[in-house]
Amino acid sequence: MTEELRDKARTLGLDRLTDEHLKQFERATTGMERHLQRLPRGMPTAQEPAHVYRAKGDTP
Amino acid sequence: MSGELAYLGFAEAAELIRAKKLSPVEYATALLARIERHDGKYNAFIALTPERALKAARAAEAEITAGRWRGPFHGVPYALKDIIDVEGLATTAHSKILKGNIARRHAVVTERLEAAGGVLLGKLSTHEFAIGGPSFDLPWPPARNPWNCDHFCGGSSSGSGAGLAAGFFPAALGTDTGGSIRNPASMCGITGMKATYGRVSRRGVAPLAFSLDHIGPMTRTVRDNALMLQVIAGHDPGDPGSADDPVPDYGALLGQDVRGLRIGVIRHFYTGDVAGDPEQVEALDIAVKLLAEAGAEISEITLPALQDFSACGQIILAAEAYAVHEQWLKERPEDYGARARERLLAGATLRAVDYLQAVRWRLQLRDRVAKDFADIDLAITASSMDPACRIDDDEALAANYWRQARMPFNVTGQPALVIPAGFTKSGLPLSLQLVGHPFGEAVLYRVAQFYEDATGWTKRHPPGLSE
Repeated sequence: MTEELRDKARTLGLDRLTDEHLKQFERATTGMERHLQRLPRGMPTAQEPAHVYRAKGDTP
Repeated sequence: MSGELAYLGFAEAAELIRAKKLSPVEYATALLARIERHDGKYNAFIALTPERALKAARAAEAEITAGRWRGPFHGVPYALKDIIDVEGLATTAHSKILKGNIARRHAVVTERLEAAGGVLLGKLSTHEFAIGGPSFDLPWPPARNPWNCDHFCGGSSSGSGAGLAAGFFPAALGTDTGGSIRNPASMCGITGMKATYGRVSRRGVAPLAFSLDHIGPMTRTVRDNALMLQVIAGHDPGDPGSADDPVPDYGALLGQDVRGLRIGVIRHFYTGDVAGDPEQVEALDIAVKLLAEAGAEISEITLPALQDFSACGQIILAAEAYAVHEQWLKERPEDYGARARERLLAGATLRAVDYLQAVRWRLQLRDRVAKDFADIDLAITASSMDPACRIDDDEALAANYWRQARMPFNVTGQPALVIPAGFTKSGLPLSLQLVGHPFGEAVLYRVAQFYEDATGWTKRHPPGLSE
């Protein structure tokens, strides 16, 4: 277990994670990286976020 | 008890109860006995509440005898995933974190089912906090698949799926943030509806990810599913995501054929973006052919890649779930099971800007899908890419998490219904998913009922459960 990973967890307030938990933390954040790489960047500036999401449209 | 009563649909039960040919007390008593006899093998229940159930059944029987029949749910046994509050009962979320957490009031969906005269049998197994499972390191064991108890029954609404397949009750509620109603529906050979986002109140249900969470009916048959959605659907001003669109008659189109309906096949989800298991793909091809031969107008449609929906949905889910769990993860990380802890920690390092980009992307995906749906009445695609894997196969379980086409419709909020579509050579259920326009649940029920009648898959039940 690297000190770097432990420090990263501590910075996030996750200072009670055991070595086993830290391995899970590492796997989880690595897995999330794969999703983050697909995030489009440079969207139109007027593109709103779905703060409170509502489904849109009518039944034909 | 005869297997016939165990697998009685509640639409049929309701008619018998109304005609006083079936006593709600005898019905509940028989199901409770069946659960006592078999649930040691399947672990569908976390808490069985027989005294409460029999009290409700006696009250229903007295009212019906006095001529005060409330409707088709009156006197019908049901069960709830254990993240849904019932006043006076513990809501544990299958977690040590919430052990002994007694609910002070009913969730809105519980209120509606109770007002309709339902008879609650108990609280059901779930993946921990609807995200981590199947797990053997929690206070209760995971539910198992009645079609083969060495196999996974799907999740997170695992007890709901297992209990329906085992004939323990005719109706249950599940919840669905990234597919948790539709996954156990696929694995257990039952029917699960994730209705349009906002259609069913989330108030009183433990949140996983606020903007993706849905509550929905799980039943064995399509007709029962429509009836149960009718009971729980409707506006709730106390739920900020609740839609105040009028609730239609979900049974109105049942019995109609599919002639002239325009059905889009989203084939690239299960043959291109992900390669589905050959038996599952064949089942979908056969279903599409059946609908075409019955007069539906079939076309293939192309949506954004499945991986785009997964990425968008998983980023939103991880961020919102971490917001819910941050304090417990800091103070009591050891009280989570390994699977929930790992999945929840995925949100710990996300940046605000990542979440915001994902929720901006979500609207783009929604609008793109709305365009792709403009010329069709509904779509058909896979739910799970594979039949149920063994419950002790960690690699296959991890793959089950992403080898699915359910998250796209949590992202868009569209209604999505999963129904049985046959069986593998080894006897495990296969499934298909129908997807509608927002608030277009009735059309999905129409097509699903037609398919169910044409194939008879829902008449098959797991072996070894005849008594």
